[in-house]
Amino acid sequence: MDSRQTEQLLEKYWNCETSLEEEQQLRDFFRSEGIAEGMKETADLFRYFDQQKKVQLSESSFDGDVVRKINATRPAAKTVKMYYNYARIAAGLVVVVAATYFVGQEVRKSYPAEVTDTYSDPKLAFEETKKALMMLSKGFGKARHETEKIRLFNEAEQKVQGKQAAKEKEVVI
Amino acid sequence: MNLEAFQTRVLPSKNKLFRFAFRMLGSSEEAKDVVQEVMIKVWNGREQMAEIQNMEAWCMRITKNLSLDKLRSQQRRATDLIDEGFEVRQEGLSPHEKTELNESMQKINQMIAALPEKQRQVIHLRDIEGYSYNEICEMLELDMSQVKVSLFRARNAVREKLVKMNAYGL
Repeated sequence: MDSRQTEQLLEKYWNCETSLEEEQQLRDFFRSEGIAEGMKETADLFRYFDQQKKVQLSESSFDGDVVRKINATRPAAKTVKMYYNYARIAAGLVVVVAATYFVGQEVRKSYPAEVTDTYSDPKLAFEETKKALMMLSKGFGKARHETEKIRLFNEAEQKVQGKQAAKEKEVVI
Repeated sequence: MNLEAFQTRVLPSKNKLFRFAFRMLGSSEEAKDVVQEVMIKVWNGREQMAEIQNMEAWCMRITKNLSLDKLRSQQRRATDLIDEGFEVRQEGLSPHEKTELNESMQKINQMIAALPEKQRQVIHLRDIEGYSYNEICEMLELDMSQVKVSLFRARNAVREKLVKMNAYGL
């Protein structure tokens, strides 16, 4: 590559029109000795690029460190995540179970306990029921007797009212 | 991805990632930490990365993001220190690294370090690592025109300074 070509290529380079291959050509060119005085600084720039590409991570234990860290973090991260998921499901279940238990208790409290059997012998139960019903009917009988009086009273009242109504009619006529 | 694939496909990119992180952070210790973090991140997310074709570009992208995070937290720390009246320590090249670069190289190093962040990233990926424009777009999450404009500005800023250096020996 002669200097005229180089200058053309450089001009393209400054305008960002060079391809990667052309940029490599420039780098190769400036690597060689005997660069014209006027291009010294540009040569330094390309040599700088070259040199910077050689910079490396100085630590030789780097790979080992990374692999060790990877091995240290891997299992912990997985189990924690798994337990976390299960714990979420378990917590949800606990809430549901507790809620049903307490709601059930409240419902039971607000309703009285169901009637339970008091007699085991059916005959005895029958007798007792009969007794209870007799008592009831006695009460009814007594009540009817009392209401008889009220009926009488009602009838009397109606008779009186009827007479009054007839009188009023006469007055109107 | 198993450990073997990781060691053959991902770990060998470490030097490229390191150079990029170093370019952004200016400290080899921190760049090394970032690369290590990237490796662990890639390994932990290996299941989701099965369909990624360009592993290196993906790693580079993570490196960029982690380096930016680090820079931001550094800035926060730096402003805290200023508030408290402390001097901010600026880490440059180590003496060993200085002897490796001769004087004009050091000047070029400073020129590139003085570029705005995006331009510095683009010129590094293109002129030092030799990536294609498409790869750089993927790595930096930029579109083609942004990459080209940044590269153009970066190269021309460097060119201007080189001309000055040539003319006045600055």
